[in-house]
Amino acid sequence: MTSRTSTHDPRWVATAAYIAVVATLAVVLAVVAFVRDGVPDLAALAVFLVLSVLHVVLPEAAVEGRVRVSLSSVLLLAGLALLGPAGASVVGALLGLSQGRRLPARYRAFNSAQFSLHATVGGLAFLWAGGTAEASRLTDAGGILLGLAVPLLVADITQAAVNLVTLAGVLRVAQGVPMRHQILLILRGTGLAYVGYGVIAFIMVILWSPAGLGPMAAVIVLAPLVVAQWAYRQHAEELRGQERALEVLVSALEAKAPRLAGHSARVAELSERMAEHLGLGPQQVADTRMAGMLHDIGQTSLPTRLVRGLDLLDPEGCREYARSGATLLGDLTILRGALEPIRRHRDDGDVDGEGAASLPARIVGLADAYDLLTQVGSPDGPLHAPSQARDLLAARVVDDPALVRALDHALARGAEVGRAT
Amino acid sequence: MTPLFRRPARLVAALVLALGVAALVPGLLQIGDLADLVGRHGRTLAVVVGLVVLGELVRVRMPSGREISPLSSASAMAAVFLGPVAGEPTFDPPAGLVVVVVAAGLLIAAVVRRARHQPAGLSPLAARLTGVGVAVELTRGWGSPSLWAALADPGFSRGAVAVEMMLVAVTGLLVELVLVAAVRAERQRSPWSAAVRDEVGEAAPLTAAVVVTGPMVALMAPVLGLLSLPVALVPLATAYAAVHQYARNRATNRELIATLAHLTEHGGYTPEHHAERVAQLSVRIGRVMGLGERQLRDLEYAALLHDLGQISLLDPIPDGATVLAAPADQRDIAAEGGRIIRRAEILDDVARYVEGQTTPYRMVRELGEDVPMASRIIKCTNAFDDITGGSMDPVRVEAAMERIHLGLGYEYDPEVVDALAKVLEDVRVGRVEEQPVPG
Repeated sequence: MTSRTSTHDPRWVATAAYIAVVATLAVVLAVVAFVRDGVPDLAALAVFLVLSVLHVVLPEAAVEGRVRVSLSSVLLLAGLALLGPAGASVVGALLGLSQGRRLPARYRAFNSAQFSLHATVGGLAFLWAGGTAEASRLTDAGGILLGLAVPLLVADITQAAVNLVTLAGVLRVAQGVPMRHQILLILRGTGLAYVGYGVIAFIMVILWSPAGLGPMAAVIVLAPLVVAQWAYRQHAEELRGQERALEVLVSALEAKAPRLAGHSARVAELSERMAEHLGLGPQQVADTRMAGMLHDIGQTSLPTRLVRGLDLLDPEGCREYARSGATLLGDLTILRGALEPIRRHRDDGDVDGEGAASLPARIVGLADAYDLLTQVGSPDGPLHAPSQARDLLAARVVDDPALVRALDHALARGAEVGRAT
Repeated sequence: MTPLFRRPARLVAALVLALGVAALVPGLLQIGDLADLVGRHGRTLAVVVGLVVLGELVRVRMPSGREISPLSSASAMAAVFLGPVAGEPTFDPPAGLVVVVVAAGLLIAAVVRRARHQPAGLSPLAARLTGVGVAVELTRGWGSPSLWAALADPGFSRGAVAVEMMLVAVTGLLVELVLVAAVRAERQRSPWSAAVRDEVGEAAPLTAAVVVTGPMVALMAPVLGLLSLPVALVPLATAYAAVHQYARNRATNRELIATLAHLTEHGGYTPEHHAERVAQLSVRIGRVMGLGERQLRDLEYAALLHDLGQISLLDPIPDGATVLAAPADQRDIAAEGGRIIRRAEILDDVARYVEGQTTPYRMVRELGEDVPMASRIIKCTNAFDDITGGSMDPVRVEAAMERIHLGLGYEYDPEVVDALAKVLEDVRVGRVEEQPVPG
C-alpha cells in the first residue's frame, strides 16, 4: 500500500472498516474487564505505563523484517498477571500506540486496538485457567504451578493466537496476502520465541510479587533483553555489511569488464522477478537473485585482456568461467543455494552428464542471455531490440514455455515499475 | 652465563595465578567441612556445579577471538548470593568453600574441554576465582549485618538488597575482566589501557546481563526453590543467543571479504595466501599498537583487500609484489582498489586505508599529511611479505627487515617497524587466542 492510495479505493474502505471492528471489540472487552474486576492497582499500572513507552527510546530490534526479542510481549504477559485484564487492556493500548512512530495514524490506531485486544483476551484466559489475582500469596510449588505457571502459558498461547489472527486479517484486507500463508510465516518466525517470553514474564511476576521486589523486578528482568536487542541490532548491521561486500564483488568484476557495468544488477532483478512468477519459495527466490548478481564472477579469474575481448554470446566459451565462479565462492556458506545456478547457468540441457540444470540455473541463464542481447552485445556486434531478443530466446528454449512466460511477465513488471518511478 | 635472578617472562600471569590460588586458600583450610556441606546441600551443589560446567562448555567466541562464558559466570555469581532456598536448607557454607565449589565446576569443565581439544587456559580460570572470591567476601564476610544476612531477613528492603547484590556482582566481574586484560596485555605486548578497554568493552553488554542474573536467582529461590537457577538463565540465554548470532555473522562477513581477496589470487595476479598473511600480521601489529576493535576490523579488511586494485591490470605485476613496482603504478593500483571498495558505502574507512597504503611515511613527517595508522601498517606488512614471500626462514626475514630498516623514517613509520619486530620475535605477541602450549 502506498501513500497514493485514494480514499475511494475499495481496499482502503475495507481496511478502515476492519480497523474499526477491531477497535470496537477492544473497547468493549476493556469495558467488560473494568466492570468485572474494578480499577487495578494504580501504582503498578503507572510503572507498566512508563515501561510501555520505553519503545520510544528503545525500538525493538528487527532482523530481516522480523522482531527478534519483543519486550512488549513480555510486558503484556507480566502485566496481565499482575494487573488483571482491565489493567492489561490499558497497557496494551499504550504499547500499541507507542510502536512505529513513523507509521500513518490509522496503522498506529490499529496497533493500539490490536494490542489492547490481545492483552485483555490473554488476561481473561489467565483468570479462566485458574490464574491467581493475588500473586503475592503464592508460596508453595503447587500453588505457583497451578496459580501462575500453567495459566500464564494458557494466556501466552491465547494472546499469541489472537495477535496472529488479527494481524493476518489486516494484511489480508489491506494487501491481499492470503491469511494461511501469512499465519504460517509469522508462526515460523516467532512461534518458539513466545514460549521464551512466557518464561521471562513468569520470572518477572515471581520477583515482583511473591519475592517482594516490586517494580525493580522489571529492571532486573528486562536488562538481559535489552542486551539481546542490542546484539540483534549489531547482527542486522552485519547483514547489511554482507550485502555491501557482495556489491564489492560485483564492483571488482565491473572494474575488470567495464562493458558489464549494471549487467549483474539487471540480471539479478530479472531473475528475481522470474523466480517469483514461477512460484519458488522465498529462500529460493533470494538464492536465484544472488546467483543472478554473481553469475559472472568467474570472469575475474581470467586475464583482463581476454575478459574485455570475450564474446559472451557464445555459449561454449563461457561455460568454463561459470564453473570457476562457483569454485571461487564455494567456501561461503551464505551462498550455498546460489552455487549451482552460478555454475550451470550457461548449460543448455545435459552437460557433462550432470543431468538437466535446476530451474534457478535456467532462470539465470535466460535472464543473462536476454540482458546480453539487449544491453551488452558481442564486442563488435549490434544490440538487439527487446522484442527481437525475446523471440530469439523463445526459439532457443522452445521446450520450456513456462520459462518464457516468466520472462515476459518479469519484463512487463519491470517496465511497470520503471514507469512508476 | 645464566644470570642469578631473571625476571619471569610472564610476571603478570604468575601474579594472577597466585591470586587465584590465594582465593582458594581459605576454602582449602576448611576443606574438612566439605563432606558435611555435600551432605546437607547435595542437590544445591549439584545444580550449581552442573550449570557452571555447562556454561563453560557453551562459550561464545567474540569477534576479536576472545571467548566468554556468560552462563557459567552467572551461575557462579548465583552461588555467591544464594541464601534461603524453598524446599532446601538455607545455603550457608563458609565463604571460602563457595569458591572451592565454583573451582570444582571450572576444573571439571577444563578437563572436559581438554578432552575435546579445546583451549583451557589457567590464567582465565585464576582470574575467575579471584573475582568470585572478592564477590563472596563482600557478600558473606563484609559488613554487619552482611549482605547475605540481609537477604535472609525479610525486614530489609528487597530493592536495596537487589541493588547491593548487583553492585557486588559488578565488582567481582570487573576484577575478573581487568585481570584477564592484564594477562593478555602482557602476552600480546599491547598497552595495558587498550587491553582493559577492549576486554571490558567487548564483554560489557553480556556482563550487564550476567550482573542481574545472580540477584535474580537469590531473590527467587525462597519462593521457587532450586528451579530458580535454570529458570533465571532464560533471559540471559536470550542475550547469549543474540550475541552468538552476531558474532557468527561477523565471521561470515570476514569470509566474504577474504573471498574478495582470493579474486586476485585465482586470477594469478597475487601469490596464494599473500593477502591472508598480510592481514594476520597487520592485525597483530595493530593490537601491539593498541588500536581499538573497530579499527582492527577495518584494518583486517583493508589488509585483505590491499591488492584488489590489481584485478583490472592489463599486464600483471611479476609475483604481484607491489613493493617492487614503480611508485606511480603502486598508487594507481591502490586508487583502483579504493574505488572498487567504495561501492559499499559502509566500507569507506577500509577504502581510505587501502588508498593510503602507498604514501611514504616522510609525507607524514615532513608535510604533515594525514595518513591513517592502518595504511602505514599495511605498507609495512605488505613490503615484508612481498620480500619474504611468506617464508619465515630467518635469512629471508632478516633480509626483509634490513630492507625495511633502510626505508625507516622515509618509507616506513618507525613505530610500526618497531611493532613488526616485536611480533616477529614471539608468535604469541598480538594474538588474542591462547596458543596451544608447545610440546
